[in-house]
Amino acid sequence: MTLKDLIVRNCKLYFKDKGLFFSSLIAPIILFFLFVAFLGGVYKDSLLSVFEGVEIESRLVNGFAGGWLMSSLLAVSAVSIAFTANCVMVQDKMTDRYADFCVSPVKHYQLALGYYIATALVTLLVCSVALVVGYIYLAIVGWYLTFTDVVLTILDTVLLVLFGTSLSSIVCKFLKSQGGITAVEVIVSAAYGFLCGAYMPIASLADAIGKTLSFLPGTYGTSLLHEHFMGGAIDEICSGLAGGDVYAQRTREGFDCVISFFDNAVPEWACYLIISITVVLLIGLYILLVASPWKKRSKKVHSS
Amino acid sequence: MTEQAIFPEMGEEIVRAEGLRKTFTLSRKQQKIEKTGITRKTAVDGLSFSAYRGQIYGLLGPNGAGKTTTLRILSTLIRPDAGDAFVCGCSVLKEPQKVRDKIGFMTSELKLDGFFTPDYLFRFFGEMHGVDKDTIEKRKTELFSRFGIDKFAQVRVKDLSTGMKQKISLVVSIVHDPDVIIFDEPTNGLDVLTAKVVTDFLAELKNMGKSIILSTHIFSLVEKLCDRVSIIIDGKSVADGTLEDICAGDTLESKFFEIYKNVKGDEL
Repeated sequence: MTLKDLIVRNCKLYFKDKGLFFSSLIAPIILFFLFVAFLGGVYKDSLLSVFEGVEIESRLVNGFAGGWLMSSLLAVSAVSIAFTANCVMVQDKMTDRYADFCVSPVKHYQLALGYYIATALVTLLVCSVALVVGYIYLAIVGWYLTFTDVVLTILDTVLLVLFGTSLSSIVCKFLKSQGGITAVEVIVSAAYGFLCGAYMPIASLADAIGKTLSFLPGTYGTSLLHEHFMGGAIDEICSGLAGGDVYAQRTREGFDCVISFFDNAVPEWACYLIISITVVLLIGLYILLVASPWKKRSKKVHSS
Repeated sequence: MTEQAIFPEMGEEIVRAEGLRKTFTLSRKQQKIEKTGITRKTAVDGLSFSAYRGQIYGLLGPNGAGKTTTLRILSTLIRPDAGDAFVCGCSVLKEPQKVRDKIGFMTSELKLDGFFTPDYLFRFFGEMHGVDKDTIEKRKTELFSRFGIDKFAQVRVKDLSTGMKQKISLVVSIVHDPDVIIFDEPTNGLDVLTAKVVTDFLAELKNMGKSIILSTHIFSLVEKLCDRVSIIIDGKSVADGTLEDICAGDTLESKFFEIYKNVKGDEL
């Protein structure tokens, strides 16, 4: 009962605090406006330049670009929303509300679990809404997803939400000030989209940067979303072409549907393995961090 | 226990601190603020005292004396480096969960979530303390009515006055009807009206048979409320007893400075 109350309280705080709620949507909103302003056109032009001389119907091009938008939007949201949702934990520490919980009979692990589950639920809820809106949008502009793609996009989103929740829980465990929260929010909103290949395909970045980014597990989750949102459109475009498989593979590599680790294409199952293992490791690290409450609390110096 | 036997009129010993010691590491920033080169600071240095049921026990001392650290040890928020403390017979070191069941910890700082209503917060903290729903409702009706919160039960805390927020904060802290109430600097930073609300509240809690441990540097508060007091300087208890014992006919203020001068020399 206590855990449920903590989860409900943390979720309510996120949605009641309008500032918190809207700041978590900054990164997806930036991405959406970038797409409307010019990124959508850039991707359409890039696609058409790859298939120069081939007649591609506009619905297919829109479905491809829409797939890119949705996959990038979800990849960024899963992490940026998780970071902002976890600000509830930091604010509790800042205002010493955390002490009120600590002097109650609530177990320390329940507090940690309360923040973790609330963050995961909030992020999953917002991402689910984005996912449904995305499906509707793609159905309007160009739907090329199979039933399996739909199931896999849901699985990818869940995995990325768990990744974002675990990563943000660890980072936020060390934050104790408003300045810290703001800095992390700015970094995550501005930089994470680039780091995971949501704003620009990693394949289009300099080789050294691409190789560096391939060490970050988030890029593999983003790549899975790209593949499952855009793969159908790519296959459709290449289906009638001579050497269509080669074209499809190159297009996939060019738009991060297939990601490389030091020039070796990483298969889909390996992407799932990487992101799953990362989630498990991050959860393990978070458990280790919350396991020694006495030690951390005793460092604080008091005024009297 | 020995003291209890010698002074049976004091009643049941409810809190006992035994040789509490707590040392903190000072960061460079803290060293600069305190204008010192030392890296370790002893906040509490072998502190022992006893408080008895139905009484208000005060820890009186200047800022930095170790009062807050002592109260945070008693409330299980921090662990002492040495010594132990017992609340209703439960060790803060060995049975922190049992201690948490028996205490209410309050400060004058407002820590309420402004987005929630007093009604929600009371129920939420009641659940946190494992109080059943019927008891929560009963206590809510009783306490909200007693402190005039009932009219504002469904108003968001951020829309209420400071005095009302303080009342809600206090009421929420005792949702589980604790035997022992630990209050750090009860009137610190409060305006006169809100300070009166708090002091009246403490007196009322005492009349309800609660045992209260508070820290303060305000002499008048000790004189008004406390049955027994310990004067703390540099983490050590330098005087302990009833006001009559300590003051011996003098005012608490002049006695305090006399003791302070004896301990610290001419440093004032």
